[in-house]
Amino acid sequence: MRREKAERLADEELMPLVGRKDPEAFEVLYDRHGGAAYSLAYRIVGDRAAAEEVTQEAFISVWRSGARFDSTRGSVRSWLLSVVRNRAIDFLRSRAGKAPKLDFDDDSALEQRPATERTEDEALRRETAAELRGALAELPGEQSKVIELAYFGGFSHSEIARILGLPMGTVKGRMRLGLEKIRGQLAEGLA
Amino acid sequence: MTDSDHKRWSEDLAAYMLGALEPGEATELERHLGTCKRCREEMRWLGPAVHSLPESVERQEPPKQLRQSLMAEVRADARPAERPARVRSRRWLLKPAVGFAVVALLVAGVVGYEVGRDGGEAGGGASTVVREINGMTVKMIQEGEGGRLELAGVPQPPEDKVFEAWVERDGEVEAVPALIVPDRHGHAETTIADMEGVETVMVTVEPRGGSETPTGKTVMAMEVPQ
Repeated sequence: MRREKAERLADEELMPLVGRKDPEAFEVLYDRHGGAAYSLAYRIVGDRAAAEEVTQEAFISVWRSGARFDSTRGSVRSWLLSVVRNRAIDFLRSRAGKAPKLDFDDDSALEQRPATERTEDEALRRETAAELRGALAELPGEQSKVIELAYFGGFSHSEIARILGLPMGTVKGRMRLGLEKIRGQLAEGLA
Repeated sequence: MTDSDHKRWSEDLAAYMLGALEPGEATELERHLGTCKRCREEMRWLGPAVHSLPESVERQEPPKQLRQSLMAEVRADARPAERPARVRSRRWLLKPAVGFAVVALLVAGVVGYEVGRDGGEAGGGASTVVREINGMTVKMIQEGEGGRLELAGVPQPPEDKVFEAWVERDGEVEAVPALIVPDRHGHAETTIADMEGVETVMVTVEPRGGSETPTGKTVMAMEVPQ
């Protein structure tokens, strides 16, 4: 497929082409989401060379398993970023000499969401990112800390409980409260 | 299910969605989700909060070579489906520039520094030859009927170009199916399924997607010991 034609397709229309090994469709997908993927990898691993390695590995795994994407389970972008997040956490754990964690499947946490609910363009994404950072910053420190340790640090709730010296139930409760607050702010107009 | 039973699962949901449950706990919750509509709805409601987390990170510009290297690997992987795996041709021998470069590099290979040679594993029929050619460390491993060409110190190909490997036997040149794609450390390797009668292994610079016969600059050529 020609690049110009691929550029006119939505992510969900590109995925079947990627599944059939179309490099142009894949290239468009990378150009749309490579920046967010690299930024997320860098946020987690904290090193440019490692972030590059993680991003490349994640996109190659998408290239090789493109057919696994299920559009009824969420957007392509969410799926892609969950693949990057998992790869980055695996990288952190292998660097720390721990076995990779396998309890968070690439697509297990994706919600049922119509494909049409996609964010429209990068400018909006950047604006949204700034607002989301603000929303996270407004969370009580005790809630944002457990969410960051889990999502960006790859720690389990029991590890976080040990790190912070808290009961496991308290950690899970703070995670829940924090996510509910973010969700509430999204519902008020951030999304 | 009582409200207190449900509360227990409900508290696990956020940890699950953040990837923070232990593997056994996650499996147990997934089993519960299969039968509990209320929990599924809660998970659906909380989903956007989790999906917003990666969108909240400070934007970093990915390095240009990441795109180049990624697409080189993707195109190399896509290529076997796009064209026949093996093409025979003598046309490359008629190209003076290529022929001259090959001769020059073969001479360099012959007089070049032979880093090592392994006569083979006992009973396995394996042999390895390592040479320094054109600034690269070239390792040719022959095992059984096949072989593996390993390169170190390989530069990234020019934009819109790829490295392609070839073997010569009986005076004919055949393309090696997979393109040579160096990783960011300059390592690359490719497998040669049939080494019988192969006299020379070479690598050339070709247009993106590869060529059916060698058309570009030869970056490495090495005689294969018989």
